[in-house]
Amino acid sequence: MPPFPFQEDHEMIREAVKGWLSDWEDGGKTLHRVAKDGHGFDRAAWEGFARDQGMAGISIAEQYGGADMGLLGRTVIMEETGYTLFSAPFFSTCVLAADIIEAFASEDDKADLLSKIASGDIIISALDGRGKLSLEDNKLNGTISPATDAVHADLILVAIQNKDNDIVLTGYSPNTAGLSVTPYASIDPTRSQAKVSFDNVSLSDGQAIGKTDETAFSQTLQIAHGALAAECVGGGQRCLDMTLDYANQRVQFGRQIGSFQSVKHKCADMFIALESARSASYFAASPDLDGDRTAKFEAALIAKNYASEAFFKIAGDAIQMHGGIGFTWEYPLHYFFKRARSNRALFTSSEDGFQMLADQIGLKSNTSAIMGK
Amino acid sequence: MSIREELNQWMLENLTGEFEQIRWRGGPGDEDSSPELRRAWEQKFGEAGWIGLQWPKEYGGRDLSLMDFVEFNEEYARHGGPGRAGHIGETLMAPTILAYGTQAQKERFLPGIKNGTELWCQGYSEPNAGSDLSNIKTKARLVDGHWVIDGQKIWTSLAHESDWIFVLARAEEGTKGRDGLVFLLVELDQPGIDIRPIHQISGTAEFNEVYFTEAKTEADNIIGEVGEGWKIAMALLGFERGASTLGQQMMFQNELNLIIKTANENGRANDPSLRRRIAEAHAGLKVMRFNALRMLNGTQDGSTSKEGYISKIFWATWHRDLGELAMDVIGADAEIIEDELSPMQKLFLFSRADTIYAGTNQIQRNIISERALGMPKEPRGNTNG
Ligand SMILES: Cc1cc2nc3c(=O)[nH]c(=O)nc-3n(C[C@H](O)[C@H](O)[C@H](O)COP(=O)(O)OP(=O)(O)OC[C@H]3O[C@@H](n4cnc5c(N)ncnc54)[C@H](O)[C@@H]3O)c2cc1C
Repeated sequence: MPPFPFQEDHEMIREAVKGWLSDWEDGGKTLHRVAKDGHGFDRAAWEGFARDQGMAGISIAEQYGGADMGLLGRTVIMEETGYTLFSAPFFSTCVLAADIIEAFASEDDKADLLSKIASGDIIISALDGRGKLSLEDNKLNGTISPATDAVHADLILVAIQNKDNDIVLTGYSPNTAGLSVTPYASIDPTRSQAKVSFDNVSLSDGQAIGKTDETAFSQTLQIAHGALAAECVGGGQRCLDMTLDYANQRVQFGRQIGSFQSVKHKCADMFIALESARSASYFAASPDLDGDRTAKFEAALIAKNYASEAFFKIAGDAIQMHGGIGFTWEYPLHYFFKRARSNRALFTSSEDGFQMLADQIGLKSNTSAIMGK
Repeated sequence: MSIREELNQWMLENLTGEFEQIRWRGGPGDEDSSPELRRAWEQKFGEAGWIGLQWPKEYGGRDLSLMDFVEFNEEYARHGGPGRAGHIGETLMAPTILAYGTQAQKERFLPGIKNGTELWCQGYSEPNAGSDLSNIKTKARLVDGHWVIDGQKIWTSLAHESDWIFVLARAEEGTKGRDGLVFLLVELDQPGIDIRPIHQISGTAEFNEVYFTEAKTEADNIIGEVGEGWKIAMALLGFERGASTLGQQMMFQNELNLIIKTANENGRANDPSLRRRIAEAHAGLKVMRFNALRMLNGTQDGSTSKEGYISKIFWATWHRDLGELAMDVIGADAEIIEDELSPMQKLFLFSRADTIYAGTNQIQRNIISERALGMPKEPRGNTNG
C-alpha cells in the first residue's frame, strides 16, 4: 500500500523516478561534475528527464498534455530530485512558472506555454520583481538576484508591481534589449543562479501574460514554494541515510560510533525532524485541501518553512556525525547542506515565512515587515 | 446523524447546570479539580452510551470506525468536555481486556468501565523501576486461591480516586527482567493497600505512592499467564497511541488560541520573536495533526509505522515548549498567582511531565534509534537496583 495520502500510480512514478535518478547521480560523481562545469545545470539530463521520461508535465492538466497528477505527483518528483539534488529546472519551470501561468494567463497563453512545459520544450525562470524592479513610463529598471535557472531559460517570466499595486506578469526572451543575465557562482553549486538586470527594458518588448492583485499572487507563489518542502524531505532523507550508513560502519573506541547514545539520539532527532517535515509536505499536497485556496496557502507556508528548517538542521547534524569526512569536498554531503541553507533563505525565507504565518493566524501587528506590505 | 452531530446535541443538552463548572477542566495537570463532579459526569457519560464506542457490539460497543472515533473525540474537546475520570479504564484497561482477557473477565470488568462506575489506575512504576520498567520488585504469590501482593508502586496517577489498579508484579522467585512477571487486577479498597499522595510541581497531589502489604486479589484476576506480564504490559502501552491523540490536539488548539488571544490583547503579538514562536507552535500543531492522520491511515496490523515512532516525543516536546511560550507571552505578570494557578501557569508547570511519563524523551530516542533506525542496542548493566 502506498503511504498515505498517495495512490498506487504515485508509487509507480516514484519507483521509476528513483531508478532513473540513481543512474543519473552515479554514486555522487555527477554532482561533482555539475557543480564544477555545469553551474548547477545538466542539460542532457534535463532533456532526458523532462522529454523522454515525460516528467515535466506530471502536475499539468491533461488538456495541455500533462499527466494531471496533482500536487501529490510533483511532491513525489521533488522528493526524489531532492534525494539526488538533480540539477535541473523542475521547480522553476514545472512548478513555479507553471502555477503562475495556470493561475493568471489567458487561455491561449496557457495552451501555448503549459503544453511546452509539459512536453519539456521550454525552460522558464519565474522571478519575483516586487520591490526590485521599478516601472516608469513603461520602462523596467532594476536587478533581480538570485535568479534561479535564468542562465539557460528560454523565457524569463517576471512579476512587476505597478503604480496601482497590481501585479503585472510579463515574459521576456533572454535576448530582449536591455535585459542581461549574468551567471554567478552560488554557495549551493548544484542549483543554477544568476543576476538578471533590466536596463530600460520596454514593458511592451515582453509577452503580456497576465495581471492580478497582490494577495492572489502571493498565495499562488507560496503554494508553489510549498513544493520545496518535498525537496527538503528528500534531501533530509539522504542525509539521514548517509549518516546511518556511516554510523554503522565507522569504528572508534572499539565500537561502531552508532552504538554511542549521543550519536543515536542525534539520529533520532534527525528522524523526528524528517518525519514531521514529511507530514507537513504531504499535508500541503493533500487532495483534502483542493478547492480551499486559503487552507492550501497556509499549509504550503507551513510546509515550506517547517521542512526547510528541518532540512538545515538534519544536514548540519549529518556533517557533525561524519566528522572530518563530512567536511570534505569529495564526499557529497556538503552539497545537501548547501541546498538546505539555500532552501531556507530563498523563495521566501523562513524568517519571512513564519512572520507571514503569524499574520495568517491572526496575530495582530502594527509593523508587518514582509514584502513591503 | 453523524456521531459528531449526535454528540454535539448531547453535549449541548447535558454539559449544563452543575457540570458547567467542570467544562474545560480536569485535563492533564488539572486532574485534582472537582473529583466528585467529574465522577458523576463519567457516570452520566456512560449511561448515555458514550463509553466504549469502539468496542464490539456484544460488549455494548458500537464498533465505531477509527475516523468516526476521531470525530467523536474532536467534538468532545471542542465543547470543552471535562477531563474523563475514566480515561485509564477506557483507553488502556478495556482494550487490554478485550484483547487478552477471558470471557469471564470481559463480563466482570467491561460493564464497570462502560457505566463509568469503576475507575482504574496504572501500577507500573516503582522506586527502582522507572525507565527500566522490567526491574520491578513487587512480588505476587498464589496462596489459597488468591494472589498475595507485597511491594511498592510510585507515581500512580489518581490512585486516590480509583477503584481498581492493574499491577505488574514478579511472580516467580529469582527471575529477572522481563521474565516471571504477572499482570494482575487488584481492588484498591482493602486493608493491604495504603495510598499516600505525593505533592507535585504544582503543589497539588494527583499521583501517589501505593504500598502493598499482603494485599489480595482473586486468582482469576490475572491477564494472560504467569510469565506473560511483560507482554501484556507492553501491549497495554501500545493502546496509548491512537485516535484519542486527535482529541488531545483539540485541547492543544484551545490552549494555543488562548495564547494568541493573550498576545493580541497585551500587545506582545508585535514582538517579532514571539510572533515567530507562536507561528511555529501553530505549524507544529498542524504537523502533529497530519502526522496522526498518517499514522491512523497507515499500518492497520498493529505494527508501528515511522510516524508512529515520533508521535509521543513530538507532542510531548511541542506541549512543553507551548508551556514556556505561554509564560513568555504573559511576561513578568506570569509570576503572580491570583487564587490558584491560572490555566497558563498550569500548562507551564504540568507540561514538564509530558516529556517524562509514558517513556521519557531519552527513552523515546532510544526506541527510535534502535527500532525505527536499526542502530546498535544499548548495552545493559546489572539490574540490581
Ligand atoms: C505526572 C506523572 C504521572 C505518572 N503516572 C504514572 C502512573 O499512573 N503509573 C505509573 O506506573 N507510572 C507513572 N508515572 C511514572 C513514569 O512512568 C516514570 O516517571 C517514567 O517512566 C520515568 O521513570 P523515573 O521517574 O524512574 O525516571 P528514571 O528512569 O530514573 O529517569 C531519570 C532520567 O534518566 C534518563 N534515563 C533513564 N534511562 C535511560 C537510558 N536508558 N538512556 C538515556 N537516558 C535514560 C531519563 O530519561 C530521565 O531523564 C508518572 C510520572 C509522572 C511524571
